[in-house]
Amino acid sequence: MDAKFFKLLLLGGAVRFYFVRTPLASLISDRVEFATPLNSQKRMKEGIYLLDQGIDPYSGDLVHESPLVLKALSGLFLNFPQWLPLIYILLDLLTGALLYNLSVRFVKQKLQKQRLERKNYAKDTEQLQYNDDDNYDIPELVLIAYLFNPLTVLSCIGLTSTVLSNLFLALFLYFLTKGLLLPCIVLLAFETVRSLYPIVLMAPLLLVFARRSLIGGVMLSLLFAIACVIIAAASYLVLHSWSFLDGTLGFIFYFRDLQPNIGLFWYFFTEMFEHFRTMFLITFQLNATVLYLVPLSLKLRKEPLLLATVLVALMAVFRAYPSLGDVGFYLALLPLWKRCWKYMAHGFVVFTFFMVTLSMMGALWHLWIYAGSANANFYFGATLAFSTGQIFLITDLLFAHVKREFCLYNGQKIMIDGEEARILLK
Amino acid sequence: MSWTHLWCVGALLLATAVAQTTPKDEHFHEELVVRPLSGDHVNTYFQFTTRWHYGQKENLYHTQLTPRVIAELLQQFDVKELHIGLTQGLWRYETWGYPIVEATSGAEMWAWFKATNLTDQQVDKQWAQLANVFSGVLCASLNFVDNTNSIAPKHLLRPQFMPANRENFVRYASLPREIVCTENLTPWKKLLPCGSASGFASLLNSGYVHNTKYHSLGLKVRTLCQDHDEDNCILEMTQTANLVYDLRLLEQSGNDFSLRRLFGMGLNGYCELASSSKIYVQRNELGARYQLVPPPPAEETTTRGGYTVVYGVYDMQEQFQDQGERLFNIAWLAPKGELRRNRQKPAPPPIYAHRYLLGQGQERGRIVTEVTNSHYAPLPILVQELIPWYVHAYLHTLNIRRRPLGRNEYGSETLPFKLLHYAPGKQRELPTHLEIGFLLPGQSSALITIDVDYLVLKWLEYPPDANHGHYINAALVASALPMGTNYSALPLEGHLFAHSFNATRPSYVLGLHTEALIVSLPTPDFSMPYNVICLACTVVALAFGPIHSVATKLIVVVRQTSAPRNFLKKLKEKLFSRGSPVLPTAGEADVPEGAGCLPPEEQDANENDNDEEEEKEREKEDGEDKECAH
Repeated sequence: MDAKFFKLLLLGGAVRFYFVRTPLASLISDRVEFATPLNSQKRMKEGIYLLDQGIDPYSGDLVHESPLVLKALSGLFLNFPQWLPLIYILLDLLTGALLYNLSVRFVKQKLQKQRLERKNYAKDTEQLQYNDDDNYDIPELVLIAYLFNPLTVLSCIGLTSTVLSNLFLALFLYFLTKGLLLPCIVLLAFETVRSLYPIVLMAPLLLVFARRSLIGGVMLSLLFAIACVIIAAASYLVLHSWSFLDGTLGFIFYFRDLQPNIGLFWYFFTEMFEHFRTMFLITFQLNATVLYLVPLSLKLRKEPLLLATVLVALMAVFRAYPSLGDVGFYLALLPLWKRCWKYMAHGFVVFTFFMVTLSMMGALWHLWIYAGSANANFYFGATLAFSTGQIFLITDLLFAHVKREFCLYNGQKIMIDGEEARILLK
Repeated sequence: MSWTHLWCVGALLLATAVAQTTPKDEHFHEELVVRPLSGDHVNTYFQFTTRWHYGQKENLYHTQLTPRVIAELLQQFDVKELHIGLTQGLWRYETWGYPIVEATSGAEMWAWFKATNLTDQQVDKQWAQLANVFSGVLCASLNFVDNTNSIAPKHLLRPQFMPANRENFVRYASLPREIVCTENLTPWKKLLPCGSASGFASLLNSGYVHNTKYHSLGLKVRTLCQDHDEDNCILEMTQTANLVYDLRLLEQSGNDFSLRRLFGMGLNGYCELASSSKIYVQRNELGARYQLVPPPPAEETTTRGGYTVVYGVYDMQEQFQDQGERLFNIAWLAPKGELRRNRQKPAPPPIYAHRYLLGQGQERGRIVTEVTNSHYAPLPILVQELIPWYVHAYLHTLNIRRRPLGRNEYGSETLPFKLLHYAPGKQRELPTHLEIGFLLPGQSSALITIDVDYLVLKWLEYPPDANHGHYINAALVASALPMGTNYSALPLEGHLFAHSFNATRPSYVLGLHTEALIVSLPTPDFSMPYNVICLACTVVALAFGPIHSVATKLIVVVRQTSAPRNFLKKLKEKLFSRGSPVLPTAGEADVPEGAGCLPPEEQDANENDNDEEEEKEREKEDGEDKECAH
């Protein structure tokens, strides 16, 4: 917590505050890349308005926000709409601050662990080890990556509820590094009831808190289930109806709204043959949740935070209604793995992918929807390429981690018969 | 001889029995109203009314004038009142005034259901079946009416049968895309007692009817029962045809027109089963300048709510008393030397409505309904919107702005809702149903706007010619007028057009329809399903492959090959060294050592056994191994 941290926070706030007052804000809040059926501000407003009018917001097809969030924000939306951007900016800054604190703690833990294991490391691997400078560099990088990433800035000024999701996720990760069980479980249960996919983050939670004991794992899972039930019951008390379950979780699982977004679902299920729909729906939802959960948990069980990062990233790629705000969040976590960067081979490729596809998306959307001179395939192509870029990034991070671990113990230069050897997965 | 005689007597008895029941219990009336409208238009309105005092429900099995299908309907379903309209064209309220019966472009249908212990689900089911029945009866696409495009209006529609109380269920649907043509007219005429053979219906020839600017076929059925007496009921069926001719489109030189010009032939008599067959010709206002040949035998002046209309009345049954005359024609002769065009514009009716769509692109828009009150006093207005499910409406964006007549821009002055009923829509299940009531001050317009999003549908949900666009139903606007200006609808308790004469009431319930809208939803590429499925699955596989390798594969060290850098040589190497691994020596070099040198991570990952004790042992071994590593 030095002066630089506050300066960065202030600057981040200033950037957001500047843009929120430009016409860009209303443009972004309508863009499909940022505002999905789940997180758009317009739908949130509609939900709060319907709730205020005494109409069940989930009897229709517009509102998919959790009733607790609707209720919590209704006073703000109805009475002080002019303060709304400011509140969202503050929440987003809070997310940044949490990520900063989380990284400080993370680097400290890493250094501590390194000190214990140092004797096992190979000799020329100082470059791969965390050092004292990282105490300052990494949190700062994380903070900068969150506060000044255009994706998070735009997501914030578009007043999407991704700001809230990011805040909750950051809180969860913060408590995870801090080792506070109860807040972790409550936050995770809340996010799960709200948007289904965060359930995968149970894996890092179990790795951190259950400490390989089966009974502990079962107990924690039970506790999590109870927390979910309590949160659902609280939502029921707010609404006096269970319709919200279908309106939030059911809506996500069955993928009812085919509005284009940056994910893989929309065009796939637009063009899907009806009798295969159920099968592919289940396949895609499995892909977004449990498919990578077990192998990655086994592989990364020493690195719960890396596991969480990768799961959050995979979630942002494969979830039913992803938005660029989700992408911005996991990008901010990448500097934590600064010591893997040496082995990340596709950095330039991924960067180019991101730049090209993100700028193409706007253009192709305009050509399709407004100019009428392109069709849906063009936009689909851009989103597909964007997903590919993200997947490259994630797999690159995983490979880099594996290589770093190997080299940390075996040295950066492995010689076979006097020649430099290559590292492969076989 | 005696046998023939007996048979004759039997037939005579039967005939008298029928003759006794027919005039007593069941009546059929035909009416034709001709009203010249402004702008060289002529409105002809046919009304065929069958009224049957059938008494008990069991009597419905024996139909005479009423078509059997209608009688069966009342036995099958708990329907008490039914309206169906099939319309092509748009009624121009501002220049033509109000029509005698209201209809919206396309097909429109609503029905009231009433029975003891009737539930909403039963009504839904009956409603869909009812629509299917009339789909067959009228050869219209009413079979597309189901719960995904029907609503249960709360305030706007009022039942026209007695007794009306809370236990009524109503369903309303409209199909703006429906095109009305000959195939609807022919079955519609078949419902008449005389068919199209004789009577006024013989004038309705499809070649002429469908050349009109506006034509609307209507069918209204209602049952009127004595209070709490289900055994004393009247079945009333009204068939209407409302046509607007554009004289400029008729092949003629002057302003004159005649029945023969309008319908292609003169009237060949009247329907013998009809109790009355009358033609009403408006004589005042725009009709005043015409000279009628032959002149009407009678004239009737009606004053209703301060609005006077003079009708010339031709009674066809009198006209055709002499057997000689076979074809009857009425000619409207305009005075010579008058201007060709009739540019006289009437004062606008007290209330009229329009609607349009704002915004561009296939993403979102704004539906605007504009209601104008040209009366001096404030009038209550009810607006009912049925927004189909493929358009999302945002209630929080609904507002009503007001502008005084004579000003061009709408200011920020808003009107408060007096009443709001909203049922949000659900994709593929329910349309959005909105009813708002407000008080519209005199001499002003109200602009009702609501923001909408256009949805992307599944590729098989688009109709043929997907780029034609999708329709948004017309809004219904209702009000209660304090005066009868331009108002010619039938009073609630009347069943003949003649009953609207001198029917002064405290207020006149007015219903209007706005235009229907067409929106173009974003369309996918319909030729792409396989490509899209393949491409999306490929991207999923792109993630699955590497993550699978990372999670399952062993990290190994291989010798840096002296492989050629050149691409062609690389390829050559690959091609010719198939089968034998490229790096056999490397494999030898690292496998025995390398396995031991793996960091603990790798060892564990390959270890299938997760037993804790073994794990500990393993780690111990690892530690020993590591010491031997490089």
